[in-house]
Amino acid sequence: MALRELSSLEKFLGLKKPNKYSTQGGKKVPVLQNNNGPALIGLVTIASHLIREAKRPELLGDSAEQRAVVQQWLEHRITRLDNCSKEEINIILKDLNRYLEDKVYLAGNVFTLADILMYYGIHHIVVELAIQEKERYLNVTRWFDHIQHYPGVRHHLPPVVVLRNRVYPSGHH
Amino acid sequence: MGFGDLKTPAGLKVLNEFLTDKSYIEGYVPSQADIAVFDALSGAPSTDLCHALRWYNHIKSYQKEKGSLPGVKKPLGQYGPAGVEDTTSAAPAVADEDDDDIDLFGSDEEEDEETKKIKEERLAAYNAKKKLQIACVVEDDKVGTDQLEELITAFEDYVQSMDVAAFNKI
Repeated sequence: MALRELSSLEKFLGLKKPNKYSTQGGKKVPVLQNNNGPALIGLVTIASHLIREAKRPELLGDSAEQRAVVQQWLEHRITRLDNCSKEEINIILKDLNRYLEDKVYLAGNVFTLADILMYYGIHHIVVELAIQEKERYLNVTRWFDHIQHYPGVRHHLPPVVVLRNRVYPSGHH
Repeated sequence: MGFGDLKTPAGLKVLNEFLTDKSYIEGYVPSQADIAVFDALSGAPSTDLCHALRWYNHIKSYQKEKGSLPGVKKPLGQYGPAGVEDTTSAAPAVADEDDDDIDLFGSDEEEDEETKKIKEERLAAYNAKKKLQIACVVEDDKVGTDQLEELITAFEDYVQSMDVAAFNKI
Protein backbone atom coordinates (compact mmCIF):
# COMPACT_ATOMS: atom_id res chain seq x y z
CA MET A 1 0.00 0.00 0.00
CA ALA A 2 2.65 2.45 1.04
CA LEU A 3 4.78 1.53 -1.97
CA ARG A 4 1.93 2.32 -4.37
CA GLU A 5 1.43 5.64 -2.65
CA LEU A 6 5.08 6.51 -3.05
CA SER A 7 5.08 5.60 -6.74
CA SER A 8 1.92 7.69 -7.27
CA LEU A 9 3.60 10.55 -5.46
CA GLU A 10 6.62 10.23 -7.74
CA LYS A 11 4.32 10.47 -10.78
CA PHE A 12 2.58 13.49 -9.28
CA LEU A 13 5.91 15.23 -8.70
CA GLY A 14 7.10 14.38 -12.20
CA LEU A 15 10.20 12.60 -10.96
CA LYS A 16 11.77 10.94 -13.95
CA LYS A 17 13.60 8.05 -12.34
CA PRO A 18 11.33 5.90 -10.15
CA ASN A 19 13.12 4.76 -7.02
CA LYS A 20 13.39 1.19 -5.88
CA TYR A 21 11.74 0.58 -2.55
CA SER A 22 11.77 -2.34 -0.18
CA THR A 23 9.78 -2.99 2.96
CA GLN A 24 10.71 -3.73 6.49
CA GLY A 25 8.97 -5.61 9.24
CA GLY A 26 5.48 -6.97 9.71
CA LYS A 27 3.84 -3.60 9.11
CA LYS A 28 5.62 -3.26 5.73
CA VAL A 29 7.26 0.04 6.47
CA PRO A 30 8.76 1.34 3.21
CA VAL A 31 12.53 1.68 2.91
CA LEU A 32 14.46 3.70 0.34
CA GLN A 33 18.06 2.74 -0.09
CA ASN A 34 20.09 5.66 -1.36
CA ASN A 35 23.39 5.02 -3.07
CA ASN A 36 25.25 7.76 -1.28
CA GLY A 37 23.50 7.97 2.05
CA PRO A 38 21.86 5.97 4.79
CA ALA A 39 18.61 4.10 4.14
CA LEU A 40 15.45 6.17 4.61
CA ILE A 41 12.73 4.41 6.54
CA GLY A 42 9.11 5.46 6.83
CA LEU A 43 6.36 6.75 4.54
CA VAL A 44 6.44 10.36 5.70
CA THR A 45 10.23 10.49 5.72
CA ILE A 46 10.53 9.18 2.17
CA ALA A 47 7.65 11.33 0.92
CA SER A 48 9.22 14.50 2.34
CA HIS A 49 12.54 13.50 0.78
CA LEU A 50 10.87 13.05 -2.63
CA ILE A 51 9.30 16.49 -2.33
CA ARG A 52 12.67 18.09 -1.75
CA GLU A 53 14.23 16.02 -4.55
CA ALA A 54 11.58 17.34 -6.92
CA LYS A 55 12.31 20.86 -5.68
CA ARG A 56 8.73 21.52 -4.58
CA PRO A 57 9.32 22.62 -0.98
CA GLU A 58 6.09 24.62 -1.00
CA LEU A 59 4.24 21.31 -0.79
CA LEU A 60 5.52 21.03 2.77
CA GLY A 61 4.24 24.48 3.74
CA ASP A 62 5.39 28.04 3.20
CA SER A 63 5.50 29.57 6.65
CA ALA A 64 6.72 28.00 9.89
CA GLU A 65 3.11 27.72 11.04
CA GLN A 66 2.02 26.06 7.82
CA ARG A 67 4.92 23.62 7.94
CA ALA A 68 3.90 22.68 11.48
CA VAL A 69 0.30 22.07 10.39
CA VAL A 70 1.49 19.90 7.49
CA GLN A 71 3.67 17.86 9.86
CA GLN A 72 0.74 17.56 12.25
CA TRP A 73 -1.45 15.93 9.61
CA LEU A 74 1.35 13.73 8.32
CA GLU A 75 1.85 12.49 11.87
CA HIS A 76 -1.93 12.08 12.23
CA ARG A 77 -1.96 9.87 9.15
CA ILE A 78 0.66 7.50 10.54
CA THR A 79 -0.27 7.44 14.20
CA ARG A 80 -4.07 7.59 14.11
CA LEU A 81 -5.38 6.84 10.65
CA ASP A 82 -3.29 3.84 9.62
CA ASN A 83 -4.54 0.60 11.14
CA CYS A 84 -7.25 2.35 13.15
CA SER A 85 -10.14 0.31 14.58
CA LYS A 86 -13.75 0.61 13.43
CA GLU A 87 -14.76 2.65 16.47
CA GLU A 88 -11.98 5.12 15.86
CA ILE A 89 -13.04 5.72 12.27
CA ASN A 90 -16.08 7.72 13.34
CA ILE A 91 -14.06 9.83 15.77
CA ILE A 92 -11.43 10.54 13.13
CA LEU A 93 -14.07 11.49 10.55
CA LYS A 94 -15.87 13.71 13.04
CA ASP A 95 -12.70 15.58 13.98
CA LEU A 96 -11.65 15.95 10.37
CA ASN A 97 -15.12 17.21 9.43
CA ARG A 98 -15.05 19.88 12.11
CA TYR A 99 -11.50 20.87 11.15
CA LEU A 100 -12.37 21.27 7.47
CA GLU A 101 -15.45 23.40 8.10
CA ASP A 102 -13.63 26.66 7.43
CA LYS A 103 -10.71 25.38 5.36
CA VAL A 104 -10.39 24.35 1.75
CA TYR A 105 -7.14 22.41 2.23
CA LEU A 106 -5.72 20.80 5.37
CA ALA A 107 -3.07 23.50 5.64
CA GLY A 108 -5.60 26.27 5.04
CA ASN A 109 -5.38 27.87 1.65
CA VAL A 110 -2.66 25.88 -0.11
CA PHE A 111 -2.41 22.33 -1.35
CA THR A 112 0.31 20.37 0.47
CA LEU A 113 1.69 16.88 1.00
CA ALA A 114 -0.67 16.61 3.99
CA ASP A 115 -3.65 16.63 1.60
CA ILE A 116 -2.04 13.99 -0.64
CA LEU A 117 -1.13 11.53 2.10
CA MET A 118 -4.35 12.02 4.03
CA TYR A 119 -6.28 11.41 0.82
CA TYR A 120 -4.38 8.18 0.13
CA GLY A 121 -4.82 7.10 3.73
CA ILE A 122 -8.51 7.86 4.08
CA HIS A 123 -9.59 6.58 0.65
CA HIS A 124 -10.33 3.05 1.82
CA ILE A 125 -12.63 4.47 4.50
CA VAL A 126 -14.50 6.92 2.27
CA VAL A 127 -15.03 4.29 -0.40
CA GLU A 128 -17.10 2.30 2.10
CA LEU A 129 -19.24 5.16 3.42
CA ALA A 130 -22.97 5.14 2.69
CA ILE A 131 -24.65 8.23 1.28
CA GLN A 132 -26.01 9.31 4.66
CA GLU A 133 -22.57 9.08 6.21
CA LYS A 134 -21.03 11.03 3.33
CA GLU A 135 -23.59 13.73 4.08
CA ARG A 136 -22.96 13.65 7.79
CA TYR A 137 -19.28 14.31 7.21
CA LEU A 138 -20.03 16.85 4.51
CA ASN A 139 -16.78 18.78 4.77
CA VAL A 140 -14.68 15.62 4.54
CA THR A 141 -16.65 14.60 1.45
CA ARG A 142 -16.18 18.02 -0.11
CA TRP A 143 -12.42 18.03 0.62
CA PHE A 144 -12.08 14.43 -0.57
CA ASP A 145 -13.87 15.11 -3.85
CA HIS A 146 -11.69 18.17 -4.36
CA ILE A 147 -8.39 16.34 -3.76
CA GLN A 148 -9.30 13.37 -5.92
CA HIS A 149 -9.90 15.76 -8.82
CA TYR A 150 -6.66 17.68 -8.22
CA PRO A 151 -4.56 17.14 -11.35
CA GLY A 152 -2.07 14.36 -10.92
CA VAL A 153 -3.03 13.06 -7.49
CA ARG A 154 -5.44 10.18 -8.05
CA HIS A 155 -3.23 7.63 -9.75
CA HIS A 156 -3.72 4.20 -8.30
CA LEU A 157 -7.02 4.74 -6.52
CA PRO A 158 -10.51 4.36 -8.03
CA PRO A 159 -12.59 7.55 -7.95
CA VAL A 160 -15.31 7.77 -5.32
CA VAL A 161 -18.63 9.08 -6.56
CA VAL A 162 -19.95 12.02 -4.62
CA LEU A 163 -23.60 12.62 -5.42
CA ARG A 164 -24.39 16.25 -6.17
CA ASN A 165 -28.17 16.02 -5.80
CA ARG A 166 -28.75 15.46 -2.12
CA VAL A 167 -30.91 12.43 -1.59
CA TYR A 168 -31.80 13.54 1.91
CA PRO A 169 -32.10 17.24 2.76
CA SER A 170 -29.27 18.06 5.14
CA GLY A 171 -30.11 18.34 8.82
CA HIS A 172 -32.83 15.72 8.71
CA HIS A 173 -31.44 12.53 10.21
CA MET B 1 -28.53 29.96 -13.09
CA GLY B 2 -27.41 32.58 -10.63
CA PHE B 3 -27.64 33.06 -6.90
CA GLY B 4 -30.53 35.47 -6.60
CA ASP B 5 -29.46 38.83 -5.25
CA LEU B 6 -26.00 38.35 -3.76
CA LYS B 7 -26.30 41.61 -1.86
CA THR B 8 -29.16 40.22 0.23
CA PRO B 9 -29.08 37.55 2.96
CA ALA B 10 -31.32 35.33 0.80
CA GLY B 11 -28.81 35.34 -2.05
CA LEU B 12 -25.95 34.63 0.34
CA LYS B 13 -27.91 31.67 1.67
CA VAL B 14 -28.18 30.25 -1.86
CA LEU B 15 -24.42 30.73 -2.25
CA ASN B 16 -23.78 29.00 1.09
CA GLU B 17 -25.99 26.07 0.14
CA PHE B 18 -24.25 25.81 -3.25
CA LEU B 19 -20.79 25.76 -1.68
CA THR B 20 -21.60 23.10 0.93
CA ASP B 21 -20.06 20.34 -1.16
CA LYS B 22 -17.85 22.42 -3.43
CA SER B 23 -14.57 24.16 -2.87
CA TYR B 24 -14.98 26.51 -5.84
CA ILE B 25 -17.78 28.02 -7.91
CA GLU B 26 -16.71 26.09 -10.99
CA GLY B 27 -14.57 22.98 -11.17
CA TYR B 28 -11.80 22.09 -8.78
CA VAL B 29 -9.41 25.01 -9.10
CA PRO B 30 -9.87 28.72 -8.42
CA SER B 31 -10.90 30.53 -11.58
CA GLN B 32 -12.39 33.76 -12.87
CA ALA B 33 -15.76 32.31 -11.90
CA ASP B 34 -14.79 32.64 -8.24
CA ILE B 35 -13.52 36.18 -8.82
CA ALA B 36 -16.76 37.17 -10.54
CA VAL B 37 -18.85 35.99 -7.60
CA PHE B 38 -16.37 37.34 -5.04
CA ASP B 39 -16.57 40.81 -6.56
CA ALA B 40 -20.35 40.72 -6.44
CA LEU B 41 -20.37 40.32 -2.66
CA SER B 42 -20.34 43.49 -0.62
CA GLY B 43 -18.31 41.91 2.18
CA ALA B 44 -17.49 38.73 4.07
CA PRO B 45 -20.49 36.48 4.74
CA SER B 46 -21.51 36.10 8.38
CA THR B 47 -20.13 33.23 10.44
CA ASP B 48 -23.37 31.25 10.37
CA LEU B 49 -22.95 30.83 6.59
CA CYS B 50 -19.84 28.76 7.25
CA HIS B 51 -19.37 27.41 3.74
CA ALA B 52 -19.68 30.79 2.06
CA LEU B 53 -17.28 32.22 4.64
CA ARG B 54 -14.76 29.42 4.06
CA TRP B 55 -14.91 30.03 0.31
CA TYR B 56 -14.70 33.80 0.78
CA ASN B 57 -11.58 33.65 2.96
CA HIS B 58 -9.99 31.16 0.59
CA ILE B 59 -10.61 33.29 -2.54
CA LYS B 60 -9.45 36.38 -0.63
CA SER B 61 -6.05 34.69 -0.26
CA TYR B 62 -5.77 34.66 -4.05
CA GLN B 63 -6.19 38.42 -4.34
CA LYS B 64 -2.71 38.94 -5.75
CA GLU B 65 -3.22 36.38 -8.53
CA LYS B 66 -6.70 37.62 -9.43
CA GLY B 67 -5.81 38.39 -13.00
CA SER B 68 -3.94 35.17 -13.71
CA LEU B 69 -6.60 32.70 -12.63
CA PRO B 70 -7.89 30.51 -15.46
CA GLY B 71 -11.20 30.98 -17.22
CA VAL B 72 -13.22 33.86 -18.52
CA LYS B 73 -15.34 36.13 -16.37
CA LYS B 74 -18.96 35.55 -17.30
CA PRO B 75 -22.02 37.41 -16.08
CA LEU B 76 -23.25 36.25 -12.68
CA GLY B 77 -26.25 34.50 -14.15
CA GLN B 78 -23.97 31.81 -15.57
CA TYR B 79 -22.92 30.48 -12.18
CA GLY B 80 -24.67 28.79 -9.37
CA PRO B 81 -27.44 26.23 -8.98
CA ALA B 82 -29.79 25.69 -11.90
CA GLY B 83 -33.25 27.10 -11.43
CA VAL B 84 -32.17 30.17 -9.48
CA GLU B 85 -31.97 33.50 -11.26
CA ASP B 86 -29.41 36.18 -10.76
CA THR B 87 -30.99 39.39 -9.55
CA THR B 88 -27.92 41.15 -8.15
CA SER B 89 -28.14 44.75 -9.28
CA ALA B 90 -25.09 46.78 -10.20
CA ALA B 91 -24.48 50.06 -8.35
CA PRO B 92 -27.67 52.17 -8.70
CA ALA B 93 -27.66 54.57 -11.64
CA VAL B 94 -27.86 58.33 -11.00
CA ALA B 95 -31.50 59.31 -10.36
CA ASP B 96 -33.20 61.18 -13.17
CA GLU B 97 -34.51 64.54 -12.07
CA ASP B 98 -37.18 64.57 -14.78
CA ASP B 99 -40.33 63.87 -12.74
CA ASP B 100 -42.80 64.52 -15.56
CA ASP B 101 -41.60 61.62 -17.64
CA ILE B 102 -42.05 58.87 -15.04
CA ASP B 103 -43.92 55.95 -16.50
CA LEU B 104 -45.17 54.22 -13.37
CA PHE B 105 -45.67 50.77 -14.93
CA GLY B 106 -43.51 50.73 -18.03
CA SER B 107 -39.94 49.98 -16.86
CA ASP B 108 -40.89 47.34 -14.27
CA GLU B 109 -42.83 45.29 -16.78
CA GLU B 110 -40.02 45.45 -19.29
CA GLU B 111 -37.59 43.95 -16.82
CA ASP B 112 -39.94 41.10 -16.04
CA GLU B 113 -40.39 40.39 -19.72
CA GLU B 114 -36.67 40.21 -20.20
CA THR B 115 -36.15 37.74 -17.39
CA LYS B 116 -39.13 35.75 -18.64
CA LYS B 117 -37.58 35.61 -22.10
CA ILE B 118 -34.25 34.44 -20.75
CA LYS B 119 -36.00 31.82 -18.63
CA GLU B 120 -37.93 30.53 -21.63
CA GLU B 121 -34.82 30.50 -23.78
CA ARG B 122 -32.96 28.46 -21.21
CA LEU B 123 -35.85 26.02 -20.71
CA ALA B 124 -36.08 25.51 -24.47
CA ALA B 125 -32.35 24.88 -24.70
CA TYR B 126 -32.54 22.38 -21.85
CA ASN B 127 -35.49 20.54 -23.38
CA ALA B 128 -33.87 20.52 -26.80
CA LYS B 129 -30.83 18.66 -25.50
CA LYS B 130 -30.85 15.00 -26.46
CA LYS B 131 -32.02 12.90 -23.60
CA LEU B 132 -31.66 9.17 -23.41
CA GLN B 133 -34.62 7.42 -21.87
CA ILE B 134 -34.13 3.94 -20.57
CA ALA B 135 -36.83 1.59 -19.35
CA CYS B 136 -35.63 -1.03 -16.95
CA VAL B 137 -37.15 -3.44 -14.50
CA VAL B 138 -35.65 -3.08 -11.06
CA GLU B 139 -36.35 -5.21 -8.04
CA ASP B 140 -36.43 -2.55 -5.37
CA ASP B 141 -35.53 -5.00 -2.64
CA LYS B 142 -32.35 -5.98 -4.37
CA VAL B 143 -31.26 -2.68 -5.95
CA GLY B 144 -32.19 0.75 -4.68
CA THR B 145 -32.79 3.61 -7.12
CA ASP B 146 -30.23 5.78 -5.36
CA GLN B 147 -27.61 3.10 -5.96
CA LEU B 148 -28.53 3.12 -9.64
CA GLU B 149 -28.28 6.89 -9.73
CA GLU B 150 -24.84 6.75 -8.11
CA LEU B 151 -23.54 4.24 -10.60
CA ILE B 152 -24.95 6.03 -13.64
CA THR B 153 -23.64 9.44 -12.64
CA ALA B 154 -20.26 7.79 -11.98
CA PHE B 155 -19.65 8.00 -15.74
CA GLU B 156 -18.83 11.63 -15.26
CA ASP B 157 -17.43 12.03 -18.77
CA TYR B 158 -20.60 10.83 -20.46
CA VAL B 159 -23.39 11.63 -18.06
CA GLN B 160 -24.28 15.20 -17.12
CA SER B 161 -27.26 14.36 -14.93
CA MET B 162 -29.91 11.75 -14.48
CA ASP B 163 -33.53 11.91 -13.47
CA VAL B 164 -36.17 9.29 -12.87
CA ALA B 165 -38.99 10.03 -15.32
CA ALA B 166 -41.57 7.63 -13.95
CA PHE B 167 -42.10 4.75 -11.58
CA ASN B 168 -44.49 2.03 -12.61
CA LYS B 169 -45.59 -0.73 -10.29
CA ILE B 170 -45.63 -4.15 -11.81
